[in-house]
Amino acid sequence: MRVSAVVRSEVMPEYRFVAEGFEDAVRKFEEQKPEAEVKTQFVIPEKDFNTAGKGSSELKNLLKRLGVDSVVLRRIAVASYEAEINVAAHSKGGIMYSTVYDDLIHVRFEDEGPGIANIEQAMTPGYSTADDLVRELGFGAGLGLPNIKKNSDAMRLVSAAGSCTKLEFLIYFAKIS
Amino acid sequence: MNKKDSPYFHAIQILEDNCTGCTACVRVCPTEAIRVRDRKADIDPYRCVDCGNCMDVCEFHAIIPSSDPLDIIHNFKYKVVIISSSFFGQFTEDISYAVAKQAVLELGFDEVAEEAMVTDFMISIIRDYIRENRDKRPILGSNCPAVVRLIQVKYPSLLPNLLHQEAPMSILTRYLREKIAKEHKLLDEEIGIFLIVPCVAHVTAVHQPEGAYKHLQDGAFSTGMIYGRVREILKDIQNHPMDIDTYPQGLTWALSGVQADLVDTDDIRALSVNGVENVMDILSRIEDHYLDQYDYVVLRTCTNGCVGGCLNVENPFVAMSRIKKMSKEGTNNEIHVEELQELYAQGEFTVTPLAPRPIMELDKDIKKAIQKMKKINEFLTMLPGLNCSACGSPSCYALAEDIVLGKASIDDCLVLRRGNPDEDE
Repeated sequence: MRVSAVVRSEVMPEYRFVAEGFEDAVRKFEEQKPEAEVKTQFVIPEKDFNTAGKGSSELKNLLKRLGVDSVVLRRIAVASYEAEINVAAHSKGGIMYSTVYDDLIHVRFEDEGPGIANIEQAMTPGYSTADDLVRELGFGAGLGLPNIKKNSDAMRLVSAAGSCTKLEFLIYFAKIS
Repeated sequence: MNKKDSPYFHAIQILEDNCTGCTACVRVCPTEAIRVRDRKADIDPYRCVDCGNCMDVCEFHAIIPSSDPLDIIHNFKYKVVIISSSFFGQFTEDISYAVAKQAVLELGFDEVAEEAMVTDFMISIIRDYIRENRDKRPILGSNCPAVVRLIQVKYPSLLPNLLHQEAPMSILTRYLREKIAKEHKLLDEEIGIFLIVPCVAHVTAVHQPEGAYKHLQDGAFSTGMIYGRVREILKDIQNHPMDIDTYPQGLTWALSGVQADLVDTDDIRALSVNGVENVMDILSRIEDHYLDQYDYVVLRTCTNGCVGGCLNVENPFVAMSRIKKMSKEGTNNEIHVEELQELYAQGEFTVTPLAPRPIMELDKDIKKAIQKMKKINEFLTMLPGLNCSACGSPSCYALAEDIVLGKASIDDCLVLRRGNPDEDE
């Protein structure tokens, strides 16, 4: 059973998703908070489409060095690239934090706002609030967030209109049986 | 360069006596295969993809191509040469295509053939392959051996996307072997088939073909070397021209962009890329699934395609303009494709799936790799971050990696040593 729902927390609306079969692993990860092995961070400037994508490209090179399976690597690459472009296209800029653990990668994006007014709508494939500049550059098809969800094992999106957006996802290096 | 302990052949040689240890080659290598140690450049045969960047940049004639000498043709009873399509772009316009081709034949061959003969047929094979493999997008052209090796070492997840069919010159080789053996009643080992090639990657591919099921060519000659030989006899031939078949339209195969335009049709969208930096950028985007809308991508590591190969003598833009002119002017000879189609139907042009040559991994065990990455990051904070290459590694990051992998020491950093003069005493 897939667990995904918009939860109205006290502070901000939140969207959570955990892929089937990963419920226990994700719970354990969140409870135990293991120590990170390798950490990197990357600044994503607002509407800078010349460098957008560089952070995820560097992450991909790091994961290649670790010998992460090529299918998993491509999923991580897609999810982090989508999220990076989202921050560049829709926010006032932000930071991408990547944390490598023994068996998984955790990537977190935090931006400077202006936040997502309706998270459920944002998660609908094809829905987009992208402006003309973004669309001219070939982005803004409304597939970003659904694509991140599709490629990750767990995902959490926290945002509200007028505040910053926090998006994080987990991808395991090996299949969990 | 052929290291005894390496399974990989490369057509690039380092002349240690000429090498000053300047590190120019270290900085231009797309796979970070070169290190300068003890003031001499050294190429890692596992990482090298034979792109030729290092040869182009070396000012000291210390990195040179190693192609075959012409006299090896005398080891064979029947000698055939296949000319790469970029070859005829090397000659000034007072020398006609037919005369240059006749001159090649008169270097001592029994038969001369051209890549340009089979490019039309190749287009049909490529289209078939794209249509039969709808589950893989995009299909990546496999004509450029440097691109194939680049994918093996840096983008192994894209190996299944490669076009698993032989390139035009190998298709022609297969066809000619069969035909000549029959017509002249010769054994396979009596027939020598050689290529005239524009780059070292093609020389390497002849000596160590990837995915070939059968014996292909017996040697590869550099365009530059043949050009020199041909020039010596051109005057004589211009006075005694003979009738010779030409295929001017096929020559455009040497130009980046043309193959993609020819393959592109109602149901096939093709993209063309040239230059090693662009090729790597596109491969990385394909890895991220951002170019899935394309059905076919033609990639070549040299500027403008094969006319930019490091063994050519003419500038790639001039050669390109000449070939375009030739393709408009000359008349194309017909070639009979029935026999080619028969071989194709028998699966004779299929290649085996290629194995990755991963170079990026720090360790087979991911946990150990993570520990090594941690150590690399620690060393990286100690290094100055100038990326000056004075240590002989391409960047501070590469030096940190070399240190952790036991291939260098922190003392190799000249900047740090200068900062601690006492330690130097």
